[in-house]
Amino acid sequence: MTFTTEKIEPDIAIIRGDEKLNMVTAPELRESVRRSISGGNARIVVDLSAITFMDSSGLGALVGCLKSARQAGGDLRIAAPSKQVTMVLQLSNLDRVLAKFDTPYDAYHD
Amino acid sequence: MTERTLLFRTPPDSVDVVHATLESIWEERGDIDEMDRMMFDTALIELVSNVIQHASSTTTIVCRLDVTADDNALRAVLVDTADPPGIDTGRREMPDEFAESGRGLAFIQALVTVFEYERMEGGNVWTITKDRSPSTS
Repeated sequence: MTFTTEKIEPDIAIIRGDEKLNMVTAPELRESVRRSISGGNARIVVDLSAITFMDSSGLGALVGCLKSARQAGGDLRIAAPSKQVTMVLQLSNLDRVLAKFDTPYDAYHD
Repeated sequence: MTERTLLFRTPPDSVDVVHATLESIWEERGDIDEMDRMMFDTALIELVSNVIQHASSTTTIVCRLDVTADDNALRAVLVDTADPPGIDTGRREMPDEFAESGRGLAFIQALVTVFEYERMEGGNVWTITKDRSPSTS
């Protein structure tokens, strides 16, 4: 899987992946987020609509990316998680920490 | 009862081979509740990922996975040829929200009914069983 990045406003980027966010693809997400932050886009929304499965490695990457984004003065929010992804977020209590939106374009309308 | 047996090696195989096996079972067993399926999938992938990431051996590790689904439960038995893992499989607390690792075993315990580990001659035997939810139909 390759993550794609779409810049939607001066400092906001949507990062999209598909299929599985697991031990194989988690480092790719971390790298995409790192590049986005170093490129000046620290307000990030990860579009999870095409992620069918996430495990604890994928979740760990989301947490790491959230911390990096906040350290850079931004944030990391998520959009459109599947049922399985929502289950994993609830299990780990991350649903209390990661702000969730129906679409990535809604994530920073506040 | 639906059964699948999968042999794989680590390195080089990835968890994708296990995902494919699970998908083929769910295709055959449309009667299994979606939440039961997701919980079992997640627990088994955590277990296999743990072996792939943390198991140590001087040679490639050979794994045999048997998955069964019947009217009452979903069950997986994973046997690997790695060294004894030296981990505590006792009750795990869920790490705090900002932890970046350490959730694998806590997830497995939270998602399945039984999680057991046994050291047998030359291998590790991991068993997970998820009781099926009562049918609503």
